[in-house]
Amino acid sequence: MPDLGRAALVTAFLLLVYASVAGTFAAWHSRRRLAQSAQNALIAAFGATAVAAAVLLAALARHDLSFTYVAQHTSRELPLGYTLTAFWGGQEGSLLLWLLVLGGYSVAAVLTARRVGREVLAWVVPVLGLVGTFFALLLVFVASPFATQPAPADGAGLNPSLQNPYMAVHPPMLYLGYVGLTVPFAFAMGALLARRTDERWIVATRRWTLAAWAFLGVGQLLGAHWAYVEIGWGGYYAWDPVENAALMPWLAATAYLHSVMIQEKRGMLKVWNVLLVTLAFCLSIFGTFLTRSGIIQSIHSFTQSSIGPWFLGFICFITAASLALIFLRLPLLRAKTRLESLVSREATFLYNNLLLVALALTILWGVVYPLLSEAVTGEASTVSKPYYNFFLHSFGLPLLLLMGIGPLIAWRRASLRALGRTFLWPTAAAVVAGIALLAAGAGSSRVGVIAYTFSVFVLASIVLEFARGTSARKALGGVGWGGAFASLIARNRRRYGGYVVHAAVVLFAIGVAGSSAYQTVREARLHPGDSMTVARNRLVFRGFESSTQPNHRAIRANIDVYRGGEYLGRYRPGKNQYFAEDQVSNEVSIRHDLLTGADLFLIADQVNSDGSVDLKALQKPLVNLIWFAGFIFVGGSLIALWPDAREERRLAERYEGATMRA
Amino acid sequence: MARRGSPARLIVALSVAAVLAVFLLYTSIAGGGTPSLQPSQLQGHTGRVSLVGLVAGQATGDAHAGGLHFMLRDRHAMTSVPVVYKGSVPDLFKTGREVVVDGKLRNGTFVAVPNTLVTKCPSKYAPKK
Repeated sequence: MPDLGRAALVTAFLLLVYASVAGTFAAWHSRRRLAQSAQNALIAAFGATAVAAAVLLAALARHDLSFTYVAQHTSRELPLGYTLTAFWGGQEGSLLLWLLVLGGYSVAAVLTARRVGREVLAWVVPVLGLVGTFFALLLVFVASPFATQPAPADGAGLNPSLQNPYMAVHPPMLYLGYVGLTVPFAFAMGALLARRTDERWIVATRRWTLAAWAFLGVGQLLGAHWAYVEIGWGGYYAWDPVENAALMPWLAATAYLHSVMIQEKRGMLKVWNVLLVTLAFCLSIFGTFLTRSGIIQSIHSFTQSSIGPWFLGFICFITAASLALIFLRLPLLRAKTRLESLVSREATFLYNNLLLVALALTILWGVVYPLLSEAVTGEASTVSKPYYNFFLHSFGLPLLLLMGIGPLIAWRRASLRALGRTFLWPTAAAVVAGIALLAAGAGSSRVGVIAYTFSVFVLASIVLEFARGTSARKALGGVGWGGAFASLIARNRRRYGGYVVHAAVVLFAIGVAGSSAYQTVREARLHPGDSMTVARNRLVFRGFESSTQPNHRAIRANIDVYRGGEYLGRYRPGKNQYFAEDQVSNEVSIRHDLLTGADLFLIADQVNSDGSVDLKALQKPLVNLIWFAGFIFVGGSLIALWPDAREERRLAERYEGATMRA
Repeated sequence: MARRGSPARLIVALSVAAVLAVFLLYTSIAGGGTPSLQPSQLQGHTGRVSLVGLVAGQATGDAHAGGLHFMLRDRHAMTSVPVVYKGSVPDLFKTGREVVVDGKLRNGTFVAVPNTLVTKCPSKYAPKK
């Protein structure tokens, strides 16, 4: 069995090398049949990788402990579900997943994106092949998932914090996101290499980029929710390097999704777009590197290993090669049109881009700061929460505001008078909301008030857009309000899907601001019968209760929650003591208030031998909006992604001539 | 001709770059970073630092009352320093674990900032180095 896996990986490696080398030669000399053969090799490599993945999966399922990987990441008692998710619980498996997902994306993108033109596609294949070669090389020579050993009596088991249903979805989602960014990168490089610098590569990869971006976004939200309900410190994001690793490429990809619209509509920003897609791709490789190499000390990245230098080399190579290529093609990337006014749709997109990239780069700076400071001064320094929050506020709040301005402003040039008319209602709504918030005592956090005022502005402008569009469509006659609304979205899926995503981001911002700027934290040592109060909730401690489970002993503090005399129920925060792993885990108890979106978050911080508990209680207003925003985000992304026959026809007509020529 | 014709872009880019540079200088020089040290490097640092070390010996005391007392030592040396800490203690905290805690050295004792103790995870996740 391990031999089959190893052979499959070697086959995949050789096929990918062939796809890169033969593909380059074929594209260079316009050899059509050879290009086809390289493409077939790329597809076959996916098949070989799938065989390797199946072998590993089968070994996990059979608890075949002669596989070092299986022995190190599972144990015999581990439930089947977690045994299978251990596939990506360690380094070698994660790399294999990377290669597998890359293969899937490559095949799908190459087979569906024929419209990009044969010359570009001929170059896309070797670029994809090269990225795949790197991962296959690691898997074959450096970190093989098929290393064997004499089978031990039992495996080392899976880290208890990874034994969680989120383990089944959070890492694969992130990988689908990280890896998916390879597709637009490969097509951008393909277009540059083929000297086809029109917007066809962007159109051809639009859905792939959008899908990867959506996966990356959802993956992060899932991770945040996992941290929130499981880790038990009352937060969902800690600016940990590994969390930042996923955020940075997402921000760059967000900027890219916006700026390509400018190139499609106005033929501008060509250089910027290829730079952005390169940045997004490099950041996604860097993210994998951060997670996998443990170079930055972090509570997450405990995988110190031998693959670090390889990754660093690959990142340097990719960055240098793509920048050199962009530089060589600069003459072809001249814009056909120019920015006419600083007050126009294009300009707001540009501001949005600069802010997003600035945010991504400041986060990057924070992440590499310990390394840089150690290299320069010989002593590592770290930046922490205040640093990141400062930049989140300085760049994030203007971004929020722009989200309300951008969609309503005219292309090319907007007159100030028209602006006044357009923004009258959103501004009025925002001002009223701001005054109301101050009156309600929200002034305790300045950032909170600003965030909320901006949020109201954006929501009002989104509602206005939908209302205008719907009434215009209804005026065409024949449909009611509902029909008009549905057909408005159906006919402009990209645009209105985008607005729905914007609404999700606003809800997210409201949730983040509410749960961080306005949270209440109380701590107290309670003996049975004692009570404490947090944000109008009275918590009464009724003593401990403990039970013994097969693999752990559970101790729970019984807390009765009252509000204004009304009994709201009993909540049981506590701790689990795991026998085998000799590890304690905090088990929080959360009371969701679905009406207000607030959570009452209870942590039994310390269980004392005298029967008292150190209870930590957090009242987090509006925090549930963050998770709710996740669903809206998925909905908006799906609307924007959904195949549109009309759009396809239009594009087909537009590129008919070009494809024929190619 | 188009490149010459977009001063707006240049202005925006330059201004943002300038703002960014200022921010970075401000935060990284005027007190952005916290030095990250091991116990043996503590001598001479009076300001707030981030102390990284292995928990040595048994921890005593009460983190929610008088404070939890424990020793932290270097990863690869025996130099150690006593630490007093108040606040939440992570689940994974125990003898032998690598932890990070912020605070200041006062009269030979490292007085930790409350609630800054974090553990670095054990390596069941990956093969030993």
